[in-house]
Amino acid sequence: MSSDIPGGEGTTTDQYDRLQEHQQAWEEFGACAVQMIPVLKAQMAAVTEETERSAMELLVHLRLLASLGPNASEDDRGASLSKIVIAMQFQDITRQKLEHVGQALDQWSIQLHKLMRGAGETGTKRRISVLERIKQNYTMEEERRLHAATISPDYQEPVPIDIEEPEAEQDRGSVTLF
Amino acid sequence: MSKTALVVDDSPTMRQMVTFTLTSAGFTVVEAENGKDAVNKISGVPKMDLVVTDLNMPEMDGIALIKELRKLATFKFTPILMLTTESAVETKLEGKEAGATGWIVKPFNPEVLMKVIAKVLPS
Repeated sequence: MSSDIPGGEGTTTDQYDRLQEHQQAWEEFGACAVQMIPVLKAQMAAVTEETERSAMELLVHLRLLASLGPNASEDDRGASLSKIVIAMQFQDITRQKLEHVGQALDQWSIQLHKLMRGAGETGTKRRISVLERIKQNYTMEEERRLHAATISPDYQEPVPIDIEEPEAEQDRGSVTLF
Repeated sequence: MSKTALVVDDSPTMRQMVTFTLTSAGFTVVEAENGKDAVNKISGVPKMDLVVTDLNMPEMDGIALIKELRKLATFKFTPILMLTTESAVETKLEGKEAGATGWIVKPFNPEVLMKVIAKVLPS
């Protein structure tokens, strides 16, 4: 066996074991990539959907605001402004989602570089689950649900639970007072 | 005299929107881009009536900020609202243990935010 095998020193048996370990690490990485690429694509598609939906909402609310005559009440103007503020927050949400996709790609890049450095480097690291690391980046339930739904065709939406039931007049599910 | 609020978020657009909502309701707002910036900005400030903070921020996150603020006598009883995209129950509990007064999931409705503030501010 030639000496250019990753980590290629020692006996032929050692070299074979390292080569096998290296191949396993690549296979593991490949299997993970095959599973995760649809997840990342789904997350990015969700960003596009969110952007389009919010842009349309903004347009509707801006038209409504523009159509309010000079005699419109403060309440009507306030309600329109509130809806515009809600719709404009898509920027913060989509920014975070794209950051998480970027973080996942960064982690893959690190893993890929480790694999390319050779079996000696990957031998102890190959058990690190890239899949789990991607999930750890998420900060939104929507992202976690989309991830689970993409990797599992049998996925079912969880039953929502909350620490304290929000009051009726509050935006249901979005406010928790301790 | 108007009430003062500290608004902490690493997203400039979110800060602007929360600030717009609060100033429209008569608050004077101090903005900070993360927990560390917030701690620096409140040093020497005698008192704030309200804190609205994001959770995930670079340098110092919202939970760490709340823990820092609760160590200060002037912030011991100040209402602190977490305003974040995170809605996991275990993270909310972490916020509660750190000393958060309430938790609002983004995107926020300005009218709901003001109702919550009215409820948590001492009358």
